[in-house]
Order: sequence, then structure tokens, then C-alpha cells
Amino acid sequence: MTQALERSDYHRKQKRFAHENVTSPIKKGIGLASFMHGSGFTGSGEKILASVVGVEATSGGLVRILAASTEIGQGTNTIFSQIAADTLHLDYDSIEVAQPDTSQVPNSGPTVASRTCMIVGKLVESACISLKQTLISAGLLKENYSPTEFRKACSDYHQKFGPLKLFSKYQQPPQIGWDDVKYQGDAYGAYAWAVYIAEVSVDTRTCEVQVKDFVALQEVGKVIHPILAAGQIEGGVAQGIGYALYENVVWKDGRMANGQMTNYIMPTAADVPLIRVFFEEVPYAYGPAGAKGIGELPMDGPAPAILSAVENALGITGLNQIPLLPENLMLRHRSSR
Amino acid sequence: MSGHTVRIELTVNGQQREAQVHPMTRLLDVLRENLRLTGTKEGCGEGECGACSIFINGELVNSCLVPAIQVQGAVIQTIEGVSSSKKYGSKLHGVQEAFLGWGGAQCGICTPGMIMAAVHLIENTLDPTTITENQIRTALAGNLCRCTGYTKIFEAVQKACHLPGSKA
Repeated sequence: MTQALERSDYHRKQKRFAHENVTSPIKKGIGLASFMHGSGFTGSGEKILASVVGVEATSGGLVRILAASTEIGQGTNTIFSQIAADTLHLDYDSIEVAQPDTSQVPNSGPTVASRTCMIVGKLVESACISLKQTLISAGLLKENYSPTEFRKACSDYHQKFGPLKLFSKYQQPPQIGWDDVKYQGDAYGAYAWAVYIAEVSVDTRTCEVQVKDFVALQEVGKVIHPILAAGQIEGGVAQGIGYALYENVVWKDGRMANGQMTNYIMPTAADVPLIRVFFEEVPYAYGPAGAKGIGELPMDGPAPAILSAVENALGITGLNQIPLLPENLMLRHRSSR
Repeated sequence: MSGHTVRIELTVNGQQREAQVHPMTRLLDVLRENLRLTGTKEGCGEGECGACSIFINGELVNSCLVPAIQVQGAVIQTIEGVSSSKKYGSKLHGVQEAFLGWGGAQCGICTPGMIMAAVHLIENTLDPTTITENQIRTALAGNLCRCTGYTKIFEAVQKACHLPGSKA
């Protein structure tokens, strides 16, 4: 919180805006939201799902990850390869990720719920540890080895024992408990935490709100890939800005009446401020290399931070509806005067 | 679509190409279906998202809104021509390098259009190193992206303005 307040210059800006707003028709404001998002399925979800991940090593020492998680641009294949490469002390390029076709790969569950990195990534890590241990137990590999020695060990294993394929199944961390009957306990194994601060300007003539600056500070455990992780946050924040200010789903007779880009308005390059992303890293013991979930987190904070900034700009309270379209704000703003 | 078809001749990425199509066939479909240049993507199909952006005679255009008959004899450049044009040899364009290096792409649907818009900005600026963030925003305002929040795209284009592979 302290860091987010400093990064956004929160207190000084609040004072400065209060002073400037007296004379300007364009009112500025700053607001914050502190929040968290659970990683993985809720309650017994992960226990019931009991996801499985496999790794196989070819006789040439190429490692293939067998998981059902889908790469949709969020970086699953990149981080899985990183996790495997780190665990096996190999080059990133010697890791391959199989196509997520469940006739070829085990069921590691759906690509949802901020679970791919923390839950499935952890299974990648533990399957890789089993692979390493298998080679060591077979007397083909020492504890400390070079990539060349690893390749040799894989080749020897294939000659002696045949295919080398290991699986890892999800096991609930011991300290987590959830009671499905009483519906009580630990809803999630871990949470990602965040403080988001939005700076807005509100044109009191048109009631148009613009987001001028955005600080997104979060703790998602260990960050596996800084560029991809920041990409997840920036994308989520931009969606959150749309959710807060523009994206109005109009229902008519059970259908969406504005299902076109012409009339369903999402943020463009001209609407999104530079989103300033910061990570605090507190490793989580049951995530791969200490990582937790990240995907859904950035959707949660922008709307409350932006509405609070608009309240600050206009000196009002109780804005509790999104999207805050200019016409809605105009009605509210006029009735409060 | 029934009715008569016409023969369209055009230059695509430096090559003479032709297609026998209905005059009102969208240029997007001529490129993707007839010429098999599937790098250009269809996003909304109504001229709002910019995913299908290409150059017609050097102008940045949404190819989903252009009827085939309108490009008779035109010079067209698509995303496939950005890296393979003689100007750059087989190398990637500076904008493509920057998108790769700075995380400018996620799901990839907007990427070809974004790159075309960025290339258009850079190649039409005498000294790309003078391009400001606001100019980039304006240049890309016709291209929607759902994944990246634009931030990494702005960063990539800013870097591209300074890469040697981006010089016009």
C-alpha cells in the first residue's frame, strides 16, 4: 500500500486536485482499490479435479511437457518451458510443449481460474523432479549434471528400460481444508493481492471520464516471466477500464442487442493510459518456483479504483454502478447539486 | 453470391496476382481465400477493429470494407509483404522485431493489423526517431486489442522507431 501510494503520488495529487478543481470545469481525482483474487478452483475444486501432468524425454534428451492447458497468448507454453528448464537445469530450447489434445496428453483441467501457472505449473515442476529422480535412481545421472550428461542418461535409459515418461497428480497442500457440507474453510490455496490507483479527469460539461494514470501494484508470488506477467496485468487493467467506463451490455428478448464493435464500446489505444505495473514478490511454497495465479486478478481492481477517483474528482460519494457512462454520471451529478 | 464474376488483376507484395471473383467480394476474402494470404485476419468484419488492415497504394485500409472491383490494378501490401519485401531482404521489419522483443503480441488476432498500422506510421515519418507516444496512440487508435492493454504495443512501436530495420 505504501509503495502504491508513493508510486502514484497519491496524497500530493489529492491535495493539488482539490485546489485546482475549484476553478476548473475539468475536475481531477484519484482513487484506489485494494483487493485479492484466489488462485485455482474454489473449495474442493482442485481436489476433485485431481489434475495430471506428464513429461517425457526422448532418447535424444528432448523433454516434452504433456498438459491440457491451452496457449491463448497468455504465455502458458513459455512459462511451462521455463519451469521445466529450470527444474531440469536444461536450456529453454530443449523443452517442447505438446499440443493440448487429450488423446495425447493427460487431463490437467481447464485453462481457467488463474490456475495454469500455480496448479498446472507446479505439476510440471513435480513431474520434472520425478523425471530427474528416475534417471538418478537408475544410476544414469549424478545430482549435478550438464545438459550433455542429461542427454546421455536419457539415451541410456531408453536402451535399458524403454520410453521415459513420468506423471504427476495434484495433491492438496496439507494446510488447506474445505468442508463441502458446511461450506466453510479455505476457499483457495493462495491469493494474489493488489493495490490499484487510478487518476481520472472528469469534464463536468460532457461528464466524460478519462483515465489519466494507472498504477497497478500486486503480489502474485514469484514472477515467472516479467514481460508476460506485466502483459497479463496491462491487458486485464485495460479490460477493467472498459468494464468501468464503456462496456455496456444491452439485453433485449434474451439476446445482446449491441453485439457489434460499433455499439459495444471497448477501450482503444486513445483511451488507455500508460499502465504502470509493479510486482512485489513473496514466494508461495506450493507454486512453481513460488508463483501464484495472475490472470483474473487485474479485472477486479480498476472499476472500484476508477469510481472512487471520480467520486474524489466531483466531491460526491456512493457511485455504485458500472459502466459509468457519461449520461449516467450526468444524471447523478446534476441531482447531487 | 451468385451472378457474374470478374477478373481482378493486382500487385500484391510486389507480385502480379489475379483472381476471378464476384465484384463485391471483400478484398479481405480475395486475399485470404483466393490468394491464400491468411496473415491478414478478420476481426469484426465491419470496419471497427482494424485487424484486417493492409495497404492499398500505400494507404492504410480495412480490407473487410473494400469490394474487389475497387482494387483493379492496385498495389497492395499485406503483413506477408512486410518482412519479405526486397527492401528488408528476408529479415523481419523493425516493428516485427520490436513486437517479438517487447511482448507486443498475445493472442495474435490484432497483431497483423497493429503491425501494418505501426509500419504505416513509421514509413510515412521522415525521421521515425521523432515520433511521440501521442502520435503512436493516434496511429493505432483504429486497431482494437483485447489482450495487451496496448501498453506493450506502445513500448514495442516506440522501440521500433529507433531500430535500423524500421527506416523508410
